[in-house]
Amino acid sequence: MAKKRLTLASVLAFTLSVSALTGCSSGGGDNEKNASPSPSGSASAPASSGASGESGAKDTITALLPPVSATYQDNFEQMAKDFNALYPNLTLKIEPASWEDMTQKLDTQVNAGSPPDIAFIGSDGISKYVQQGMLMDISDTATPEMIADYEPAPLEYMKNGKGLYGFPAYMEIHAIGGNKQFLEEAGIDWKNVQKNGWTYDEFREAIKKGVVKEGDKTKRYGFVFATAGVASKDYLNILVKNAGMPSAFTKDLKYAYTSKNYLEVLKDVRQLIDDGSMPKELSSIDAGKRWNMFLTGQTMITGKGLATFENSANKNNSKIDANDGSAVEGSIKADYIVLPVPSFLGQPAVSTPAVDGYVTFRGKKEPTAEHKANVVKAAYFLASGKIAAQTNNELFVAHITKTGKEAAASMTVNRNPDNQAAVEVLLSHAAPARPDIPTELGAKAIKLEDEVIIPKLQALLANEIKPEDMYEAVKSAAIKEFGQDGVVTD
Amino acid sequence: MARLARTNKRRIFHADGAWAYGFIAVALLVYAMFTAYPVVSAFFISFQEYKPLGSVYVGLDNYKNTFGESLFWKSIRNTIVYTALTVPISLLISFAIAILILPFKKRLQTAFKAIYYLPAVASGVAMSVVWLWIYDPLPSGLMNRLLDVFGIPNQNWLGSSATSMFSLVLMAWLSSHGTSIIIYLAALLGIDNSYYEAADLDGASFFQKLWHIVLPFLKPTTLFLLVTGVIGSFQVFQNAYLMTGGGPDNATTMVGLLIFNNAFKYFEYGEAAAQSLVLALIIAIVSYFQFRFLGKDVEY
Repeated sequence: MAKKRLTLASVLAFTLSVSALTGCSSGGGDNEKNASPSPSGSASAPASSGASGESGAKDTITALLPPVSATYQDNFEQMAKDFNALYPNLTLKIEPASWEDMTQKLDTQVNAGSPPDIAFIGSDGISKYVQQGMLMDISDTATPEMIADYEPAPLEYMKNGKGLYGFPAYMEIHAIGGNKQFLEEAGIDWKNVQKNGWTYDEFREAIKKGVVKEGDKTKRYGFVFATAGVASKDYLNILVKNAGMPSAFTKDLKYAYTSKNYLEVLKDVRQLIDDGSMPKELSSIDAGKRWNMFLTGQTMITGKGLATFENSANKNNSKIDANDGSAVEGSIKADYIVLPVPSFLGQPAVSTPAVDGYVTFRGKKEPTAEHKANVVKAAYFLASGKIAAQTNNELFVAHITKTGKEAAASMTVNRNPDNQAAVEVLLSHAAPARPDIPTELGAKAIKLEDEVIIPKLQALLANEIKPEDMYEAVKSAAIKEFGQDGVVTD
Repeated sequence: MARLARTNKRRIFHADGAWAYGFIAVALLVYAMFTAYPVVSAFFISFQEYKPLGSVYVGLDNYKNTFGESLFWKSIRNTIVYTALTVPISLLISFAIAILILPFKKRLQTAFKAIYYLPAVASGVAMSVVWLWIYDPLPSGLMNRLLDVFGIPNQNWLGSSATSMFSLVLMAWLSSHGTSIIIYLAALLGIDNSYYEAADLDGASFFQKLWHIVLPFLKPTTLFLLVTGVIGSFQVFQNAYLMTGGGPDNATTMVGLLIFNNAFKYFEYGEAAAQSLVLALIIAIVSYFQFRFLGKDVEY
């Protein structure tokens, strides 16, 4: 009996050890598996969708995808089936992830050296992974037909240096949005603003008119922007783009935020709070809170504003009409109006684009030409045609591929035509991509932003430091990081 | 002779003692894989610039960067302030609650223990969401409404350097006492009743009994909770990450959060590993002094 128990204990211990060791093994990922050469064969895919390095050998492409739009993840099974129907030798294996988990999941896989072949991320994350050497340059594999399908501006955002690291899904503009009724009550000609933009002074006066007080207490603010935590950088970034600083680096690669214009924007940021047009607790207001404030009529204008907010407001309006209990508590009907960010100091308006897309990764081993071509096919499949059309329509964002526009032609979208036209105007002067910024410089700028700009901006918003203090802190940190000759002096 | 040795060996492995070796081996293996290996690995990574496709040896650069970084020292200061404010007060609260629960019957004691332990079962994220709601900066926020009753203007709890650290400390004071209460209660129940009876005969007051009987008997327990509390507090990460993100102006950036940011935000694993080892060293030194000065007459 004792012998049997001993044998059993040994077997259990051995099993546990082996299974644990197997779990720790770094090998066996799809990338590594697919890195081995496979026999080539004839491709059954349409010529227009083919990529160089074609092979008929079986292959699996993995993709880590978040819920890009409301129904996006519900369609994964169909997407995989459609892809397999188009390329019978290929399997698209989609791993869903929540937005909250996405970065952590991807970073863990990347650092373990076994990322998915494709991941849906913001184009601003490309430089980080390029620096690690974990992205797959597809510039030599994507066919001219694929490239020609895209509008050049968003495609540029998927580049770093000379490399192309995936395909964009959409180009979204970070704007601000107003409540139509409140804008009109405040005498703001919003249609004119949508067409011609506004200056900071015009904006300042307009949001002052939007404030409604009851005694000492403010019932409604003119403008509320989500600035809690890291969201504060969005606020400053979209403002400084309209103050002659479309990027953190000038064309001759000097750090731009040491310009005097930066200081002027910081003064204006403080001024809007001191005017009482924005809440003095602004530094603690997060994205959820300010959207709640918009829907409950506590602010006339909100930011940052995405096109999809119109959809969200419309849905809430329908719930209010239907007396549906799931409408936001205390909300009122609100028609969402897309508005541009004001321009500063006589500088031209430059809107802030956010380009997200399907980025292509590589594993520890160099991928074969066949596998690379298959990954490109899958990335293009996801970022164009029907899938792009459906997703972008749900998000109320403009289509950036010819095939997407064609597929969307038969789909109906309940969108305010004024907003649609306003977004077109904003897209026409979107900040261009800067693939020329070296990854090391970009990484230094991000660290400076995280360790100096965001903390100081939080302090500025909380009225703990003056704009001049923040400017000096940013300037001295920038000089320390980039050198006296590496920063703008004006 | 050889036969005798073989027989002895067989006896060792066939005896019940072999079971112990089997189970210890499993625990040891798990410890080696999930604790010892990462620590040793962190030590080597701290001398490298980590990259998935091949790390580069950089000598002591990561340590030099760490010690030359003002944010690192600020995070150390924040962590010490947080620890100094939370650990002693939390121990005091746990001790007071345990004393209050002690006179109850066993069933009621169990009910109270379960109630106080409940927050430990709840997810930290869920708890943070509740506290974010409590600290709503607008006048409609729960804490601000409370202040309004006393005519105090509303506060930007998590958005101001003046109140953000206090907000995290208050959160620690008012939650997660369950484990300490249970340990204190177990220790209190271990004190023999004859001591209290003798004290009663001598006419000792409640506070005299507390001072002369309870506190000396609870010294080992207090030392244990203090040491583990300080270690836990030095490693605090979740509250700052979820509630303030380290802001405003890094007023709540703790070492744990700094290490996390370096590792998972900037992929600077080498610097993060160096900072982790420095933190481990600080914790070891603090624990040494705690044992040296507070554990002098503690018997286990």
